[in-house]
Amino acid sequence: MKQGGLRGYIIRRLIYAALITLGVVTVTFFLLRVGPSSPADKYLANMSARTQDPSQVIAAIEARYGLDEPIYEQYIDYVVNLARGDWGWSFSTSMPVMKLIQRHWIYSFQLILLSMLFSASLGILIGIYSAIKQYTKVDYLATFFSFIGISIPNFWLGIMLILLFSGTGLGWFKVYYDTGLPLFSLANLKALVLPVITLGTGMMAGYTRYARSAILDNLRKDFVRTARAKGLPERVVIGKHVFRNAILPIITIIMFDLSGVVFGGAYLTEIIFGIPGLGRISFNAIFANDYPVVVTITLIGALVALLTNLVTDIVYTRLDPRIRYD
Amino acid sequence: MMRQVSNKVGGLRNLIFIGVLLVLILILLSDIYLVDQILEPLEYFYLFFAAVAIFYGIYPLYANRRLTKYYWQRIKKHRLSVIGLAFITFLIVVALIGPIFTQDPTKVNFAEKNVPPVGFTVQQFVYDLQAEEFVVQEIPGTWQHPLGTDDKGRDMLAMLVSGARVSLQVGLLAVLIAVFIGTIMGVVSAYFGGVADMVLMRFTDIMMTFPFFLLLVFIIFIFGPSLVFIILVIGLTSWTGTARLVRSEALSLRTREFIMASKSLGASDTRIVFRHLIPNVISVVIVIATLSIPGVIVAEAALSFIGLGDPTVTSWGVVLNAGQRSLDTAWWVAVEPGIILFLTVLAFNFLGDGIRDAFDPRSQL
Repeated sequence: MKQGGLRGYIIRRLIYAALITLGVVTVTFFLLRVGPSSPADKYLANMSARTQDPSQVIAAIEARYGLDEPIYEQYIDYVVNLARGDWGWSFSTSMPVMKLIQRHWIYSFQLILLSMLFSASLGILIGIYSAIKQYTKVDYLATFFSFIGISIPNFWLGIMLILLFSGTGLGWFKVYYDTGLPLFSLANLKALVLPVITLGTGMMAGYTRYARSAILDNLRKDFVRTARAKGLPERVVIGKHVFRNAILPIITIIMFDLSGVVFGGAYLTEIIFGIPGLGRISFNAIFANDYPVVVTITLIGALVALLTNLVTDIVYTRLDPRIRYD
Repeated sequence: MMRQVSNKVGGLRNLIFIGVLLVLILILLSDIYLVDQILEPLEYFYLFFAAVAIFYGIYPLYANRRLTKYYWQRIKKHRLSVIGLAFITFLIVVALIGPIFTQDPTKVNFAEKNVPPVGFTVQQFVYDLQAEEFVVQEIPGTWQHPLGTDDKGRDMLAMLVSGARVSLQVGLLAVLIAVFIGTIMGVVSAYFGGVADMVLMRFTDIMMTFPFFLLLVFIIFIFGPSLVFIILVIGLTSWTGTARLVRSEALSLRTREFIMASKSLGASDTRIVFRHLIPNVISVVIVIATLSIPGVIVAEAALSFIGLGDPTVTSWGVVLNAGQRSLDTAWWVAVEPGIILFLTVLAFNFLGDGIRDAFDPRSQL
């Protein structure tokens, strides 16, 4: 707090985030270099049968991408190129990786955003209701279903939804996502119903549990007893006093979940439903041996997670005056 | 509670355990540098698992029968966790002896493709050689294939039994590795503090920043898939949660009186870490281990579902993949492995909850 309170805190957090980013980049560089096949091999796999002498091609590729330089120079090049936005060339799609990402990130974004809205709103509501009605049938039912929701593997849930509601089942939805639909249209929203349920169910179950325990924690606090003793209606006690105190930790957990649960889930959901987001692109790139795409998407996942955590932490300190800046 | 277990059993156990580890490392070195292969890669994991289970699971429980009985009674109160334990035991038995009784899960037989499970009948277009045209034929399920066959005529039951073996291998072994690393990282970081703490915890932060599944896919993409490698990678990437939890637990223990007392009596750092800190965080570690097994099993299934699993083994994910391809013609291929996967995850979650409540009813884990 000596260094200017909130501003000092934000600056320190930013420096720390930059260091972690460098660490993340270093880990990927290290993994790429210790891998059994050098990047040149992966490039070669894409250019196979174009020439008679592979060793010549390897030498050419190594010279072109600086792989014959000493390892520290390669490392510096790698970091500098990433920072400049030069993320390499995607062989399988014949365009710069940057352009590929720009074209496809929106599909992942809309899936994740809608799933989070769906699961957070419903999960928190059920959690609150279940906490207020603790030890009633409703509470047991909600707890039971959240247990099932947490345990159900989301990619299997997706397949079951397809089996029941589209194609040969009830036929309400298309089996594959139609990329021709304009974004932010009603038809697009309908096409995303099953993917959002697939990705959102597990998250919703988790949020129900967090919300329930956060509300229960606060219901036992003294200020709630005071509020009730003042004669405030229960609606105000829950809505104002309890909810406002419980919501912050819930939001932190939701944001923290993003990297662990949501990105992995979105990856699989996109593959099952054929949504052309970053997960699907990375999946295609893996089987085309298109390694710059795979590296970049892994890095983007890590950086987005880092950034959301950073923003959440900073916003949190603004919203909750009790937090200390250390 | 757990502290009493450790004091009774004594420190000789740790020495023997480290001895066993050293022997394993020696065999590993000879396997790497000498021509004759002594052990298969997977067998190292089994021996490691067996050593940990015997020295830190079975023996302490046996030596303290009264406490064991007490824990068992508390777990028993949690009816669902007993059901979970029963299901897991059943699954382990099936995985161990099932493959003896079932058919070869890789045997392809196109004459018997898409046969439904017993009790179901489906209609299929079949080419009739005599009439030289496609006819609709009713195909009933037979006891030959109790759970049906997939689009290549492979027996579903055999594939699911084989998948149970794969899933349990991955789940138990990878979590063991993760928990082993996490515990050591957490305790060292908390006890020694300072630079060690900073370096280890910053590294933990970096590893935690990667989305788990994306990192897994990335590493498998670079190094190529094999079952041993998948186990190793999951173990080496999922220790972060344990490390953090153990660290915070050990930090609060460090200031407690019995550690102070032992320090002022002149105990060495190793003695305090191994005799006092680790035994006292074990209960937390057991709970987090049980609760992280389902995530690991699902991660392996997801990997093999998208085609990044070991191509030589039949895991539930591989069957699910075949199932998604033939949803229109053979719904059971996608339904059956998913149900078992779901029940397995549920069972481990129930058991983990039960163990947590038995060890510490107030825990907020």
